[in-house]
Amino acid sequence: MSAVLGVDRVSKTFGERRVLSALSFAVDSGQIYGLVGPNGAGKTTLINIACSVIPPDAGAVTLNGRPVTADAHARVGVASQDVALYRDLTSEQNLAFFAALYGLTGARRSRRVAACLGDVGLQDRAHTIIALLSGGMRRRLHIAAAMLHQPDLLILDEPTVGLDLESRHRIWNVVRNVADEGGSVLVTTHQLEEAEALCHRIGILHHGHLVAEGAMAELRRHVAAAELAIIDAEDLGAVRRRAHELGLTHRPALAALAVWLPERQSLDRVAALFSGIELRSVTLKPVGLEEVMAEKTKDGKN
Amino acid sequence: MLALTVTRRILTELWHTRRSLIFWALFPALMLLLFGLIYAGDSSPADSFNYTAPGILIGAAFFFSCLGGPIAAIVAERERNTLKRLLLSPLSGTAYFLGLLLAFLVVAAGQTVVVYAIAFAFGGSFRGSLMLGILVVVLSVASYVGLGFVFGSHFTKRTEEVNGPVAAIGVPLLVLGGTFFPSSVLPDYLYRIAHLNPIFHMNEAMDAVSAEGLGAGAIVDHLVFLVLFAGATLAFGVLSYRAMLQRERVL
Repeated sequence: MSAVLGVDRVSKTFGERRVLSALSFAVDSGQIYGLVGPNGAGKTTLINIACSVIPPDAGAVTLNGRPVTADAHARVGVASQDVALYRDLTSEQNLAFFAALYGLTGARRSRRVAACLGDVGLQDRAHTIIALLSGGMRRRLHIAAAMLHQPDLLILDEPTVGLDLESRHRIWNVVRNVADEGGSVLVTTHQLEEAEALCHRIGILHHGHLVAEGAMAELRRHVAAAELAIIDAEDLGAVRRRAHELGLTHRPALAALAVWLPERQSLDRVAALFSGIELRSVTLKPVGLEEVMAEKTKDGKN
Repeated sequence: MLALTVTRRILTELWHTRRSLIFWALFPALMLLLFGLIYAGDSSPADSFNYTAPGILIGAAFFFSCLGGPIAAIVAERERNTLKRLLLSPLSGTAYFLGLLLAFLVVAAGQTVVVYAIAFAFGGSFRGSLMLGILVVVLSVASYVGLGFVFGSHFTKRTEEVNGPVAAIGVPLLVLGGTFFPSSVLPDYLYRIAHLNPIFHMNEAMDAVSAEGLGAGAIVDHLVFLVLFAGATLAFGVLSYRAMLQRERVL
């Protein structure tokens, strides 16, 4: 696979604040790359640099091997976090307008508009004005507007923020279809389950540093646990003390406690480790991105 | 080409909502009827509507559509986040500006038809060169749109702020420009100040061509002023738009 987007030691400072620090990663063709991190981690700044809206202070960004310059606008499709549509126009008119901005005319434009409406499942809403669409529909159309000119790289900034589960899954399917057809997608999100479910590779951004990067299987290696036991008990303090005595890492998990198991164990054996404590439930689950992030960001920086 | 794309989008939006179009037609129509009938008391209806129509067209029709319209359009782009979307597209500031100008020229053409249809219905006529009249209309619209671009880019951040600059700066210019009464009633010092007001030159030029039937030679000073003013506001408008895009360069 060849790198569609190459980010090489990119740094950016705003005033006294260093937002990105020597960031490097690549997005290959047919790949969905997820950038995760809390608000203010530098995700949006990186997007602005990737589509040539702002220049980096140091480092280089390339698109298909060529430096990103002002003409990147035609090669990149961006769906920003805020939906940007003309609410007094219909879905079709919105897409036709954005397609025309990218030089699509006549029958080719009509075909692309129809195809993108179909891709996001809104072909039956082609003649509905935006003001009458649901939030999820608007966001899907917003993404379709970024796909019209068949860009080399599709960038989605928090594509499912504020959406219900069904709408999120619809958008995930749209993104997967783009990648299945050979397109490259850079997704930023602070929803970890979204990154896990959707992305082939994930970069964890923390205070402008890429603290971990790779496929989910690679990222799991950063955590010294083979599996997690989610334990609910009347006396969680007792569970915490026992885990501490056993030398097991533990973290709060909603109303329960997540105990990191260094090797896979049966439920009975896990329960036996906590014998004498009245347990309500024990659930085993694989190490997820949440644990990787907790591990990689626990000392504040790297 | 991209400018025409912007023009078509703006006109389609206006057509879908229609509210603005209706009021932009209704307001000058009512103002013309009122002032035409008021002044008809001292002269014939034909004369009254002959002399009232140019001022109403420039001051009541174009002022609200071609000054207020571009301000509202730019503010709406900002509020809908589409401005940032445009920033990420190949559309240039100049093409956007031209697109907006063309759209409001179409609106202005419609208003001109409405105003003169009413004037003709009361016996009025367009006495001068039609081409010269069109030139005055184009220069007036360009001046208004340029001003609107500057206000929209610099002084107006939200929809509710649109009326501020229009009322505070625009309405005094209308009064001083001789929109509602002849500029001859102005005291000398105000009359001299009025020569710095673009609306004064729009009114005087349109009045001379439409009501007096005068040729280009009689209004050359007004045309030169309007060409310079329109050029300056268009240039400043494009620069303002670019400056605004720089400020918006954060997703």
